[in-house]
Amino acid sequence: MIGTIAAREIRTGLVTPLLWVLLGSGQIVLAWIFLHVIERFSGLEASERLVSLTQELCVNLFGLAAVLTMLAAPLLAMRMLSAELRDGSYERLAGAPVRVGEIVLGKLIGLAVLLTPVCLLPAANLALLTGITPLDLGQIAAATLGLWLAALFFGAIGLQASSLTEQPGAAVLLAFGVLLLFSIIGQAETLTAQDLSLFGWLAWNEHLFRFLLGMVRLSDLGYFLGFIGLFLALTHRHLANRQLD
Amino acid sequence: MDTLVRATALSRQFGQHSALSDVELCLERGQVLGLLGANGAGKTTCLRLLSGLLAPTAGRIEILGIDLVRQPLAAKRHLGYLPERPPLYPELRVDEYLTYCARLQRLPRRAIAEAVATAKQRCGLDEHGRRLIATLSRGYRQRLGLAQAILHRPAVLILDEPTEGLDPVQMRELRGLIRELAQDAGIILSSHLLPEVQAVCDRVMILHQGRVRLDAAIQTSRPTNRWRVQLGEPLAVEALKLLAPVAEAQALGSNRFQIELCEGTNSADLARALLLAELDLCELAPERSDLERTFFDLIGAEEQHG
Repeated sequence: MIGTIAAREIRTGLVTPLLWVLLGSGQIVLAWIFLHVIERFSGLEASERLVSLTQELCVNLFGLAAVLTMLAAPLLAMRMLSAELRDGSYERLAGAPVRVGEIVLGKLIGLAVLLTPVCLLPAANLALLTGITPLDLGQIAAATLGLWLAALFFGAIGLQASSLTEQPGAAVLLAFGVLLLFSIIGQAETLTAQDLSLFGWLAWNEHLFRFLLGMVRLSDLGYFLGFIGLFLALTHRHLANRQLD
Repeated sequence: MDTLVRATALSRQFGQHSALSDVELCLERGQVLGLLGANGAGKTTCLRLLSGLLAPTAGRIEILGIDLVRQPLAAKRHLGYLPERPPLYPELRVDEYLTYCARLQRLPRRAIAEAVATAKQRCGLDEHGRRLIATLSRGYRQRLGLAQAILHRPAVLILDEPTEGLDPVQMRELRGLIRELAQDAGIILSSHLLPEVQAVCDRVMILHQGRVRLDAAIQTSRPTNRWRVQLGEPLAVEALKLLAPVAEAQALGSNRFQIELCEGTNSADLARALLLAELDLCELAPERSDLERTFFDLIGAEEQHG
């Protein structure tokens, strides 16, 4: 059943223009950054090169792609619940012999599949350098994994916001607000004692950065998976409570 | 008889507002139950409760003996529901949508193609399988909504305003389809259209302000030969009873009467008799159906004039 719901979401995502516009515009911006980094790196003397080309590209390309997915995920997620609640098509799902958990997981998997091409864009750009210069494939794989997990995290927040309102625009703004909070919360650390690292830990960018450096740590995996689970549980709770509203 | 739906002391509140109170409902196999009521009477709330989209504040719903609240998945397998707005995905094609719905209803993979073809054929969508839902007219969308509801041959079919958006020909076809489906299922439908309910339902339930005001069988195939007459001047009702075509007469005012005609006579005979008696005939109109009168009497909106 999860597969049926996910497949319908993927089909809808592929036949509507939103994903293609995101992919097209995302690739244009990434290509521009890619060329800029290559040009800057090739202009440096060997002694001036403090980090490898792979690291330079990973931090810049995947960092920018993370911002792109942060914009894309709520836009794709708003259609999955909020627009369905508005148009009445959610009643087809709610009236079927399907568990709310299956609906939520189906939507998340559909969203994950639709976001995967966006997450693969930086790696596709880096693939152009294959055979021209040595690349650290392990670091690229870690960065891609980190970006994909971050995309799922953004998607889970998008789904939760989407379950809260029948107004897709409001759902997107709500998701952007929460994501912005999770982006800047690390800055709060400077306002408090330096040894209090809770706010820094809450910010997603800190965790993604370690993936971009090629480090796959259980604590970072736990951060993303934990928050994905939390926001999915909140989505589940809200959808289940709709019967009582 | 085989009881398909049994609702006991069903109540639903939205905050302080009571949308439905103490509704008792029972539906047998082969029965078509019509829910009637003015806007806000609680029809849609009742149907949403019976389809499992809303949880009751109090009371119990059993679908084929399965508690809908405790075992929603098992109960929903036997339900087909057409909401007020058909739940469609405009970006899908008709066949894709129906296949998706069949999977949601957990039909065996092998049975899906046949179920989709049968539902399309029954709803007159044979030629439209490849069409995008976004390009369908309102009537065809309504048909598609009905097709998704009957796809898995549910034992209980719940239809909220099923004739909405249909033209008169389609409405007649839908009545035929509902009668056909009712041969091996139970159907609950809501409507504002009294003649439609009278034409297609075996039983009617009138809701008013969230309460059941009437739950009774519809007496079918009883031709009405009752007329409403307005004369130019006041007249004693006994004088009317003396006229040949009049079987029974009742005064509604000094010059207004309700007249039941003898068998074999018609309105022309009555008009002729009135003119021969040198009475001024101002108005001669068929009396409203029993259901219509009952409905207006029950909801307290009986017109005071005319």
